[in-house]
Amino acid sequence: MAARIRVARPTKIELARLKQRLRLAMRIQKIIKDRLSILVMEFLQTVRESAEAKERLQKVYHDAYKALSLSVGYHGYAEVEQTLMIAEMPFSLHAAPRNVAGVRLPTFQMEENPEASRTVFPAEDSSLLEYTSDMARKCLSVTVELAELQSALELLGDEINKVKRINNALEYVVIPGLDITIKYLSMKFEERDREEVARLKYVKLLIEKREAYAY
Amino acid sequence: MPIEQDHDDVIARYLASELSSVNAQLPKRRKTLSLLLHEEHPRISCLDGSEHFFRIDELRYLASILSDYEREELLLPMIIEVRSGRSDMLVRSLRGDGKETVEAKVFAKVLGMPASMEKTGVRIYRSQLGAMRRALKTTTQYVFTL
Repeated sequence: MAARIRVARPTKIELARLKQRLRLAMRIQKIIKDRLSILVMEFLQTVRESAEAKERLQKVYHDAYKALSLSVGYHGYAEVEQTLMIAEMPFSLHAAPRNVAGVRLPTFQMEENPEASRTVFPAEDSSLLEYTSDMARKCLSVTVELAELQSALELLGDEINKVKRINNALEYVVIPGLDITIKYLSMKFEERDREEVARLKYVKLLIEKREAYAY
Repeated sequence: MPIEQDHDDVIARYLASELSSVNAQLPKRRKTLSLLLHEEHPRISCLDGSEHFFRIDELRYLASILSDYEREELLLPMIIEVRSGRSDMLVRSLRGDGKETVEAKVFAKVLGMPASMEKTGVRIYRSQLGAMRRALKTTTQYVFTL
């Protein structure tokens, strides 16, 4: 994209102002590049963690379904359903934001409720049901972890795109535009200086000629 | 070559706001680890008015590797200073005497190797950053400097 010359007033004050602005733009670009590299690093880290969480999730769900089918086979569907209906939720979920290089990411934290930390099975104290319940809790825990990672991925991805656009705008539009305007103004002032010298020389010549005729 | 005679103050304003917003997530005031451990939902306020929450697991992990005195000394979140054009980063500590600080002890434990000290804090490299951020997601924060 061709850079445009943007100049409000072709004056030396304007030139100084543009030079200052160019320095500021270059400083900002440096910081933005740093931020971009950090965001990309965080994004890749989250991708790795997300892949690990997905693997864990598959394993835990596999075990949980296995345990559930064993429980249903042993106790019968009606009893398992009845037990699940009266079971208390032994934890609560706390959602809060955390900040990563200016991006607000959600954090989900499961908090155990000590009063209802164990599900009570009044019908029969079954180890199978307990095991199934534990597996279900693990499933939920990994699901929550994966949800946090997935939302972090989306938000980080969006921010990376935004920062990339800002960086590109600075690199290909703002900085070249300022650069070319500064060059244009510098050339204009040099040309003006040269014209001034030529004019002065001509005036000097005229004065000399006039003085020569006077004698 | 096209010459535009309009003001580009919009760009100037935009550039200035970009510089000020890049570090807006910094905390207004840091809290000690022992103080945060006593809070039900440990959090701090940021300069942009938002809040930053700490994971209780992380705080407990830090508490497990530090003594009571060190828990009082460690200010959270630990600020990682990303310096422009440099491959290393700095985590500033309260004691700037070059001796081993609480932060150095934490990083040495997390990274499994001794942390390299500078006069003003602990130096960490980009290759170590991943491992550190993985262990201390909410207890560390970035600041961008030139």
